[in-house]
Amino acid sequence: MRIAAIVFSPLLALAGGLFFLGLARKVAARVGWRCGPPLVQPVIDIIRLLNQSSVSHGGLFSLGIVFALAGAAAVVLFLPLGGPPPFRESGGLLAILYLMLLAPLGIALSGGAAANPNSSIGVSRSLILTLAYELPFLLILLAVMTRYGTISLVKIVESQAGGGWAIFSLPLLLSGIAYLLILPAILGFRPFEIANAPQEIASGALVEYGGRFLALATIQQALNLFIGPALFVNLFLGGAGNPLFFFAKMLAVFTGVLLVNAAYPRLRLEQAVGYLWRWPTLIALAGLAAVMWW
Amino acid sequence: MGHKYSLHAVYFCTGCGIIEIPPALTARWDAERFGIIPAAAPRQANLFLITGYVSLKTLKPIIRTYEQMGEPKFTVAFGSCPINGGMYWDSYNTVKHLDRYLPIDGWIAGCMPRPEAIFTAITHLWGMIDRGEADGYRRYRRYYRQYRANQERVLGRLDWPPLRGED
Amino acid sequence: MKLELILAVAFGGALAAYPAGKISSRLRNILVVGAALFPAAALAGLYGVRTGNVFYSGFLGFPLILRIDTLSWLFAVTVSVLGALGAVFSLGYIREGEVSDFYYPNFLLVNTAMLGVVLAGDLVSFFIFWEVMSWAVFLLICHKRGRALAAGIKYIVMSLIGSGAIFIAILSLRSAAGTLVISRIAPALAGQPPGFLLWLLLLFSTAFGIKNALWPLHAWLPPAHSEAPSPFSAILSGVLVKIGTYGFILLFYVLIGRNAFLGLGRGWFSPSHLLSLAGGVTILVATFIALRQDDAKRLLAWSTIAQAGYIFVGLAFGTGLSVAGGLLHFLNHAVFKALLFLAVGTVEFRTGGVRDLNSLGGLSGRMPFTAAAAVVGVAGLIGVPLTGGFVSKWMLYQALILGRSPFLAFAALFGTWGTVLYGYKLIHHIFLGQLDRKYDGLRPAPFSMRLPMAVLALAVMVFGVFPGWPLTVIDNIIGHLGFDPLGVTAGGMISQSGALNTLNLLAAVLVSCLLAAAVLKAGRKTPRVGPEDNYAAGTVVPRDRYNFTVSFYDPLERMLKPYLRDFADEFGRKLTGRGRTFFGLVRRIYTGDVRDYVLYIVVFLALLILTQLGWRPWR
Repeated sequence: MRIAAIVFSPLLALAGGLFFLGLARKVAARVGWRCGPPLVQPVIDIIRLLNQSSVSHGGLFSLGIVFALAGAAAVVLFLPLGGPPPFRESGGLLAILYLMLLAPLGIALSGGAAANPNSSIGVSRSLILTLAYELPFLLILLAVMTRYGTISLVKIVESQAGGGWAIFSLPLLLSGIAYLLILPAILGFRPFEIANAPQEIASGALVEYGGRFLALATIQQALNLFIGPALFVNLFLGGAGNPLFFFAKMLAVFTGVLLVNAAYPRLRLEQAVGYLWRWPTLIALAGLAAVMWW
Repeated sequence: MGHKYSLHAVYFCTGCGIIEIPPALTARWDAERFGIIPAAAPRQANLFLITGYVSLKTLKPIIRTYEQMGEPKFTVAFGSCPINGGMYWDSYNTVKHLDRYLPIDGWIAGCMPRPEAIFTAITHLWGMIDRGEADGYRRYRRYYRQYRANQERVLGRLDWPPLRGED
Repeated sequence: MKLELILAVAFGGALAAYPAGKISSRLRNILVVGAALFPAAALAGLYGVRTGNVFYSGFLGFPLILRIDTLSWLFAVTVSVLGALGAVFSLGYIREGEVSDFYYPNFLLVNTAMLGVVLAGDLVSFFIFWEVMSWAVFLLICHKRGRALAAGIKYIVMSLIGSGAIFIAILSLRSAAGTLVISRIAPALAGQPPGFLLWLLLLFSTAFGIKNALWPLHAWLPPAHSEAPSPFSAILSGVLVKIGTYGFILLFYVLIGRNAFLGLGRGWFSPSHLLSLAGGVTILVATFIALRQDDAKRLLAWSTIAQAGYIFVGLAFGTGLSVAGGLLHFLNHAVFKALLFLAVGTVEFRTGGVRDLNSLGGLSGRMPFTAAAAVVGVAGLIGVPLTGGFVSKWMLYQALILGRSPFLAFAALFGTWGTVLYGYKLIHHIFLGQLDRKYDGLRPAPFSMRLPMAVLALAVMVFGVFPGWPLTVIDNIIGHLGFDPLGVTAGGMISQSGALNTLNLLAAVLVSCLLAAAVLKAGRKTPRVGPEDNYAAGTVVPRDRYNFTVSFYDPLERMLKPYLRDFADEFGRKLTGRGRTFFGLVRRIYTGDVRDYVLYIVVFLALLILTQLGWRPWR
């Protein structure tokens, strides 16, 4: 039973993530008065990439992408997706936070090993952007953890089952709003697409990725797309009883991100950092202060 | 199936014909419904559009980019210039028969072709991929010695090593 | 095994290294390694022993005691093992023909003195060993001359201020408590007013804070650690800074006692809270200044300040979990910081002294072992799960969050993300990127340098996957200090507010890795290409002309630059500048003219006579 959950959970997350990717392209097209690709386009892309030849730049290059994907998959194994997580909880939200940093680090490692200045610039931008959104992100997570007095994600979900969704309690409403404001940055959608800017730095760290490497990177991006909203649903919308409801809640959260992605251009790095350290940080700080002293 | 419905094109602005590609990508003649999007780097792409004339100066990056793409890869030549020199048939600086230096899978005639012609060509390319006729990359590997000799004859000494015989 | 024997062998080795070096360098090498390994081996066997004995009575009327309990054992073993590994590394690093006569005696002397400090059972021997350690470290920092001299002088001046503070504190303690034996001071201080405890705290905190590089007392550390020879930098960052930590534990929980310390002050203004805040500021300031450094060892030095801040926050916060987290982080940090300094030292050795991050690059092709070791070290520094750093940081965060102090937790967590940035910068600029043509013939690390790096890298990973083993020792320690025990298991710990099971994490990550690697390896082979075949917009560029290293985090640095000045250092410089002007003015008394000096004598005699007359020359 547990083995089935361990195998099934990342596949479910992957399917959801790929659906979100396709949905993002479709919605961006429709908002721009186009038709857009079919919803299964990311799947077709991955199949094509898996069948295409590629080159490698050495051991660290291959190891980096493996680490990135392993990090994303490991996070999914510890997330409750409308039911208990497949792996018994170990380390709670803090461990999940740390596993989430394996993904950009892995891409950074292989981007550096590619010995291409485009990759190095892309990695530098991606790390700075991640640092930028981590500031409000940490304040939000700390507010939730302090409110419920635990670091365990499972216990946070359970407390909400008894006491109502977190987003309806006033201090955490502020944190929830801040999370929604930084969600495009976490997912790497416009306007925070600077790290993978195709026109500026030839897609940054992914410039030397071909074939199978790019397929793995797309899979990792899909899993990341799944993790961001999933965390929001677990922390603020009380999780769900079964995966279907969970997915419905995620879709509701994701729609806003999709519309923002379709409408906005890309922000420069200084503008992105400035934005992330202004309003979302202030709102998250207000949320944390409210949790502490209200 | 994966190859034909996911043609990512190298966004290499080869010649004057590149002006016809943005209209094909934007809302009026949406190319993304065919699965075609521009790729950022040649390693991520499998379609190479040679849009317009190829001067000797541009031939070098074209060959280099083509060799960096992963296989299977498909090349489509736009316009009359790659076919037989087109408007520049008597210029000292342009390449008249691109097929001698790079394997071309299909040509689109016109100066420049309209987006409807581009999409007709894409559907033709799909048919060729299905029937296994779009094998320019295999031809390149099989006759690499001849291709390289042609390239060296017109460009002088090339500053990249010959392709290794793998795959 | 008597403790005096261990110290005697270590000290004897230090003394004998100089004449042995004159006889033959091979004899000296064997002697040095033996004298460094013996304490490590001997102490390893002393786990669980609690003993102490007077080894010399009658020093100015005080008994000099050596004692060992679990806390001292942990510190002593770390000191001696790292000393041994540093000695092995030095065998290759210190080339013959340089001034190496005094390096080994000094090195072993520092080792001995640090062992003495942690094994001291009374404050007099503590102070003696502390002083020996301070000036031996000073001599070794200045080993390379030049800029190292200035760095050493900065260190020794601050260290002397600290020593003076300890001395005054010892005098106060003697008059208040009547005894200087460490284990008997806490009950003797029971009746003292809280003001006296604050006075002690202030004095001792100055001294230990200087050693532990607490903001604002950290200014000596960056130049000292970057200019010292690399194996000694490893010792400096790895254990010397932690002697300050040991001092703090002694101060808070042994000398003053846990209840007295936590009961001082009220709410926000308690020493515990204020010191934790200082630790939090240390973490943030040092992490973001480390981002801007272009010298590899200076970056690591600022990183040491930041990580020592983490340890200090754990200690000052005052719950059992936080102290345990701090102690575990001390152990982990000693291991991976030493590993990183050794890796950078290897690169410096092979490239002929190059430390500038902007001139290196791509060395992972020429020095794969060093690159792998450095990646493991940086992974531990960041706290990637499955390395030791993760477990200790996890414990610290949990302690801070559950102790209702989320702003400190935020400082610690955000500091970790800054650590990711500068850790990656170190790896990228040295080992990734493009390889400069002049380093094409670089030879990999020699065996004497690989061995310590291998041992330390293994330790980083073992402490990460089986943290139960060091945690059992630490649980023992905090039990003795008066805290409730933690529930320690082989893979982590179980407490009522959150469990950690690293074996679970290992399984999850391993499974995912295998799946990803399977997808990558299946099917046709991927040929390996070199940097000549990189994407360069269709052209062929020389393979080492476009390395992106300078101003790696430029957008961030530009935003943070006004806030990231080292205020403490600038204040110190202004102070010394004003002092120098003032003393320059004072020096004008010496005019060189004999008549002025005669005038001074006459005036002085006149003043003397006046004081005798009671300032009333009329009668």
